[in-house]
Amino acid sequence: MSNEIVMPKLSDTMEEGKIIRWLKHPGDPIHHGEPIAEVETDKADMVLESFAEGILDQIKLKEGESAPVGAVIATMRGAGDATRPSAAAEPANGPSAEARSKPVEKKSAPIPIRLKTRKDIPAAPTPPPPSAEDGDPREEVHPAMSSRRSAAPTAIPMPPRAPAATLADRVEPSADGHKFRASPLARRAAEEAGIDLAAVHGTGPEGRITKRDIDNFLREQQLFRFRRIVSPREGAPGSHEDLSRMRKTIASRMAASKREIPHFYVTMEIDMAEAVRLKTSLAQAELIEEDITYNDIIVKALALALARYPRINASFENDGITIHPNINIGVAVAVEDGLVVPVVRGCEQLSLIEIAKVAHRLVAKAGRGGFTAGELSGATFTISNMGMLGIEHFAAVIVPPQAAILAASAIKDRPVVRDGALAVGKTMMATMSCDHRIIDGVVAGRFLQELKRFLENPASLLL
Amino acid sequence: MANSRYDLVVIGSGPGGYVAAIRASQLKMKVAVVERDRPGGVCLNWGCIPSKALLNSAEAMETIRGASREHGIEVGDIRFDFKKVIARSRAAADKLSRGVRFLFRKNNIDLYEANAEVIGPNAVALQAVDGKPALEVKQLEGERILLAAGSGERLFPGMQIGDGVMTSKEALVHDSLPASVAVIGAGAIGLEFGYFYQAFGAKVTIIELENQMLPGFDAEIAEELRRAFVKRGVIVLLGHGYKSMARDGDMWRVTVEAAGAEKSVEAEAVLVAVGRAPLSAKLGLEKVGVERERGGFIKIDDSFRTTCPSIYAIGDVGRPPLLAHKASGEGVAAVEIMAGVRQPGFDLLSIAGCIYCEPEVATVGLSEADAKARGIEVKVGKIPFRAIGKAVAIGHPDGFVKLVVSKEYSEVIGCQIIGNHATDLISEVVLGKTLEATTAEFGHTVHPHPTMSEAIMEAALAAEGEAINY
Repeated sequence: MSNEIVMPKLSDTMEEGKIIRWLKHPGDPIHHGEPIAEVETDKADMVLESFAEGILDQIKLKEGESAPVGAVIATMRGAGDATRPSAAAEPANGPSAEARSKPVEKKSAPIPIRLKTRKDIPAAPTPPPPSAEDGDPREEVHPAMSSRRSAAPTAIPMPPRAPAATLADRVEPSADGHKFRASPLARRAAEEAGIDLAAVHGTGPEGRITKRDIDNFLREQQLFRFRRIVSPREGAPGSHEDLSRMRKTIASRMAASKREIPHFYVTMEIDMAEAVRLKTSLAQAELIEEDITYNDIIVKALALALARYPRINASFENDGITIHPNINIGVAVAVEDGLVVPVVRGCEQLSLIEIAKVAHRLVAKAGRGGFTAGELSGATFTISNMGMLGIEHFAAVIVPPQAAILAASAIKDRPVVRDGALAVGKTMMATMSCDHRIIDGVVAGRFLQELKRFLENPASLLL
Repeated sequence: MANSRYDLVVIGSGPGGYVAAIRASQLKMKVAVVERDRPGGVCLNWGCIPSKALLNSAEAMETIRGASREHGIEVGDIRFDFKKVIARSRAAADKLSRGVRFLFRKNNIDLYEANAEVIGPNAVALQAVDGKPALEVKQLEGERILLAAGSGERLFPGMQIGDGVMTSKEALVHDSLPASVAVIGAGAIGLEFGYFYQAFGAKVTIIELENQMLPGFDAEIAEELRRAFVKRGVIVLLGHGYKSMARDGDMWRVTVEAAGAEKSVEAEAVLVAVGRAPLSAKLGLEKVGVERERGGFIKIDDSFRTTCPSIYAIGDVGRPPLLAHKASGEGVAAVEIMAGVRQPGFDLLSIAGCIYCEPEVATVGLSEADAKARGIEVKVGKIPFRAIGKAVAIGHPDGFVKLVVSKEYSEVIGCQIIGNHATDLISEVVLGKTLEATTAEFGHTVHPHPTMSEAIMEAALAAEGEAINY
């Protein structure tokens, strides 16, 4: 009996995937959670992992080839045991030791696989399958989903390898024989972020790597990507480049949006003086670790405004209008070869700090990869913020099937009239692109007024 | 007399200034220190050191008093000479102050005993102080100036020191034991002196505006401490605001208010312990563009640089917490940053706060409530000392250790201890924080038995639900 491995749908928009590299070959045994292959999707490069045990039988899709979602890409057979008891037979036989600790395989069902970042391959060896005594039923179904921490046999988290190293810094040779030392916290943070410690510059005593160095490393990676994207040297004159999967996706979706969605645009100048003050005073209070950004503040204001104007938080689908129950705000982030739009989910339930935490984690991931499929899909509204580039004003293309997108420009000193006198104000141009099939001008205008009201009275964002 | 041009002129020779001066000298700077009082500052002369001497006498008193009850050792009438108690404390302060002078000489640091005023980005004017040697030099030039002027006792408006009304400074030399003392303020100083006077038999009333002792500390710790004080016979009035005080014959009548109702506390002496304030007003800072913030603290950046680039500030004059060891740590950090041998930045969350009454209190980093306010998800490991063999054996089973641990990485982000020798135990956690240790390192480090420190190991295990003895 052989099981089929199919190309999984890893995001809302994924239609096909390309095998970058097979990590297993026919005849190789495959264990729970073991990486099988690296796959390029429209969103990111991901690693497929098996949830089942067995032996890789046949590879149907060669490296470099693409296949649509659902297509069979490989087959597996049982682990050299053709008479392995079926799920139905087990109760009669009594659960075997193996069955107790492993999920029950369904016959002929596509083998579930999951994604991980490619970086995780060298950094994170496959955790051992957790035993049923771990108590978390989720882990029984999806062993590979369990975090290293909960999979460890002791509740005191420890790296699975070299446990003695937790007592002192491990002096560890990297590939080139270079030695480095890191604090236990830095080690754990690096492990979870999928960072190779050899790449991190330590600023502690004797070059010791601390948590701050890991944080800085992640931030620099992000900045580097940003610099790359605005670098004028991108694209040599006279060259032709094949579209990456990401560029293909951007091309097809943006063209479809402009083709199908009747866009109209409303712009409003918003006085951001109070929001600037809020940001500064939150930073000075030093009560929270997160540095709240203007983007976080605008996302929170959007969430409040969208809650009052559910019609903006909607989709045009099947000749009807779906009003979404949750407010999931996509935040467009530039990356090396285009952009990704990670989603802050359930914004209607999140405080400003919570939004900031989630958004910053997602933005950091944009710099280094490692998104889960759920983090890149399901947005009900999107914000594109070009404030950091000093943009005066721009309009964004709606991401289908959303009803609108907000383009936030730079906060600048501009002349404003206050109480009949000219003054210097800090204002921002906010332009909303709207799907006219769902939204009319008056609603769009009122919504922007509402957004303006929250941003100009930002104490409301802290409630 | 030395040339009056220096790489670094340090104003103040307290635990911030003198430590910074020595470190700067080690880093090959030519250093001058200006001090208007005695070398060593408040810490050595009027704070940490003499008060710990007094508390040590109080502890001896308590031990002897409890000898019969706890150990079956019969002691006759206990008598004491309070003057000797005070004299012993002064002797400790004098000895250490002389030690600071010696350290200056050993490190080729010039000490100027004068008042200092900053008159330019690189210039400090000296003014003679009564009772000190005449000045041969009126002005010092410094490539950099380090402000380490410290803090002074705060008073409420209308409070007059003298005639039985004291701050900690007067109390340290007040060599007759008052029969009763009203202590205004349940911070570190108020509690330490309250404990001291109580141990020697005075009737002590502690008055605090906030609804807990040690405002800002972990509430559970504060409540445990309140119970210990009340058990000892101290009257603790929480949520009582100070209104006024007036002489009434031989006594002071202190009027306090709680929830709109006034009451009065009578005592022979009043100890005012309502905090300390930075001494930044008389340094001439406005003229050189050194800005100050609310409360008089000098505005500094990550490198301890003020808004005048050649002038730096550390210790109490710069920012809270007002602690000697924080000042020393900042002093070393500031000169190392100046010398380019250290990265800017200083982790205030790794500064321990210690209260030396009995039971002792020691904390570092965030409390559970602090962490929640910052949106950090935490788990807490709490171990009472009665679960620790040593604590039971030495008759100090009261108190507990709380370890605050982040859920994200099991990082130890805070610790609160109340109990015997808590202040000696906290350093392990401070070191752990410096090393960015997690519960694994604390929990898997084998602690010697029997010691009080086992409570920290157990608390780390408890945070992960794996405590052995509790």
